[in-house]
Amino acid sequence: MMSFEHCVRCTLCVENCPVFKVNPAFPGPKQSGPDAQRFRLDGEKSVDEWVKLCCQCKRCEVACPYGVNVSEIILKAQVKYSSEHFSPFAAHLFANTHELGRLGSIAAPITNFLTSASFVQGTMRLLGLSTHLPMPEYRFLSLARGRRKKGRFKSPRKVVFFHGCYLNYNRPDIGRGIRDLLAYLGCRVAMPPQTCCGLPALGNGDIDMARRYAQKNAQRLVEYIDKGYSVLYACTSCGLTLVHDYPEVFEIPEGRKIAENTYNLHEFILEAIEDGSISMDFGEVNRRIAYHIPCHLRALGIGYPAARLFEKIPGLTFEILEDDCCGLAGSYGFKKKNQQTSVNLGVITAAAITSLPVDAFASDCGACKMQLGHFTGLPAFDPSEIVIESLANRSKKKAVRKRRMP
Amino acid sequence: MSVYEYDAVIIGGGASGLTASLYLSSRGYKTALISKGDPVCCLSTGGIDVLNGSDSPFDLLAHLPEDHPYSLVGREALIEALSFFMEIMGHAGLPYVGEPGKNRQIITPIGTTKSTGLVPCTMADADLAEDGHLHVVSFKGIKDFYPSYITSRIKNSAFSVFDAKVATTLGIAARFEDDAFLDAFISWLHDLEIPHDRVALPAVLGIRDPVSVMEKISSATGRQVFEIPTLPPSIPGLRLFRALKRLLQAKGGHLYWGREVSSFESQAGRIEAVTLSTTGRPSRVEGKVFILSTGSFVSGGLFASRDWIRETVFGLPVFVPGERKDWFNTDFFAAGHAIEKAGIEVDGTFRPKLTKMDNLFACGSILAHSEILKYQCGHGLAISTGMAAAKMCEGMLS
Repeated sequence: MMSFEHCVRCTLCVENCPVFKVNPAFPGPKQSGPDAQRFRLDGEKSVDEWVKLCCQCKRCEVACPYGVNVSEIILKAQVKYSSEHFSPFAAHLFANTHELGRLGSIAAPITNFLTSASFVQGTMRLLGLSTHLPMPEYRFLSLARGRRKKGRFKSPRKVVFFHGCYLNYNRPDIGRGIRDLLAYLGCRVAMPPQTCCGLPALGNGDIDMARRYAQKNAQRLVEYIDKGYSVLYACTSCGLTLVHDYPEVFEIPEGRKIAENTYNLHEFILEAIEDGSISMDFGEVNRRIAYHIPCHLRALGIGYPAARLFEKIPGLTFEILEDDCCGLAGSYGFKKKNQQTSVNLGVITAAAITSLPVDAFASDCGACKMQLGHFTGLPAFDPSEIVIESLANRSKKKAVRKRRMP
Repeated sequence: MSVYEYDAVIIGGGASGLTASLYLSSRGYKTALISKGDPVCCLSTGGIDVLNGSDSPFDLLAHLPEDHPYSLVGREALIEALSFFMEIMGHAGLPYVGEPGKNRQIITPIGTTKSTGLVPCTMADADLAEDGHLHVVSFKGIKDFYPSYITSRIKNSAFSVFDAKVATTLGIAARFEDDAFLDAFISWLHDLEIPHDRVALPAVLGIRDPVSVMEKISSATGRQVFEIPTLPPSIPGLRLFRALKRLLQAKGGHLYWGREVSSFESQAGRIEAVTLSTTGRPSRVEGKVFILSTGSFVSGGLFASRDWIRETVFGLPVFVPGERKDWFNTDFFAAGHAIEKAGIEVDGTFRPKLTKMDNLFACGSILAHSEILKYQCGHGLAISTGMAAAKMCEGMLS
């Protein structure tokens, strides 16, 4: 990565910035990143409050042909600003996504009732939260709490599933599906106790809390890596945090080792198919879907592995949409000050999906699915659900069914 | 290390690399396109400059130096490539108009004209007609767009300014995707009761589907509507890039974006694979053929120090026009600085000369002697050499 001095001001980053596109208050990645960086001095208090309008989609960084780490410059400026100023309640709340999930899950029916009740929503707005989207529902039987199943271990592959908060507390059904899929493919699946990847805390300006989360996870993951396990993620934002932020931003000593041994779920399955360690018999899936690429999957630079699995599924037609950000960006769009930006982007991105002849869409990111599900009114799938559907359709009476694949 | 296997691996995601990838994937070859970032194509006017300086680019072809890449392409292949381009852009929902053998004039943001070959259909009526009759619509606060300059040069013309509540080209283009905004704009335009036959706007008529935005305005007002390209961030350039990229993915091509080639492996006169670096696990991308389309200095395909020039991916031998003191004219604005000739020299099969790599091809602005600024042939050269290199690959793969 190059420093801000390598910026030639070509504006390719600006063309890719979703926030700049819809919010005139944000001066865009070029000005917030490399341009302003030369005025940000250590020991001087930040005055650039607008830097917090960046949603950290990293599209600027992917676009920059000169290797300037635009979004990282902005991220560090956001952290600096937050550490020097009073942080609003919403930032503190969302920094603690993990604790929020834990409490929400334990008291699931009550939480879900409360977050949807109108008198609570009024209070939420007063506290700086946006209510344009229903808050994600929590599930009592979290993924971590659910009963484990034993696989057949016919493959020599051993994996640790890093499920992240969303699959754990909000959509444990998808998490269980993935765990069972891996077990069905013959992998030894471990799900050791794990905490938030750290991204929500980082995104809300609390790098110390983020690093504490990261260190906790790193210690556990490295134990497994040393025993020959690969780390798998399905949430692409957790994935980017493990692969990029652990070594580069949190500067965790084991970060490099974790980054090298961490796989996207579909990337892992593809590689295992290619090296012959697993075989998959894809059944027909008669669907037409849009595949909305989450910004953080783009930023991972691994191509689109789920799309490569989709290519193998007979009957499935899909179109990749990668040029628009959904606008929710984790907790970004749940804050009242970002609500208009989030809604405007949601509408634009949803229109790109609904302009296609599709009856559903898929995305790897929980936030994208919530936002675009809301604005398109279409069913939203995790790519793994499509893969599982395909396998289940092939072997209706065999192993998969016994494992109650959806 | 993750390993991916392809028939063809194209390095460099600009107009040339995209054309080459599109051609090969539409022929059924498994294609990967690697790019370390977005291309300068996004900053362009969206027009396809074939060869400027005369009414027909073909008049000029014969007068080019023998070592110019167009001489390797040849007139027939140039026509074929431009026709291929127009065909695929039709499929992409962003049709281009024009004839390969004819240049046209489009209006610039300062009211001068610029010669170009093919243009997106949103600029189809952008010629400077004899009797003018033009109404220019600008937007409040928009940078680098000067309606009074334009009208001062055109007979029977006037301008009006619309307040879109946002002043950037990207911001206004995004607003045009909102039907309520479009309706408000149309009704404002209608109320102006303009006497002119044609309405010109800066190129901000939406990002995803400018054709339908233009048609809506046109049919509601009964006027011909066209766009004037702006300075970067340039929306027509962005549309062109995204349309090509989307089409490539629809044809089954795979993208590796934001990744840089850190090393390559070769054996017995063949490139076997390139390695992509990241903070995570590196990826090894294997291919049967490789195309280098990383562009010139601005795009990072070439890197110049004080007294040497390097090709950044494979370290290929670079043609350098003499010593450093000879690289530049003393007059900065004089056309044809010698440094523009720098690049990779290729033989008639688009393989780099002086290398013994049988399965490596090069295309686009990285080619030596192309002198794109002097001849104004950027996109035409990109598309035609991209297709020519892809055809050579096809010959090798089949």
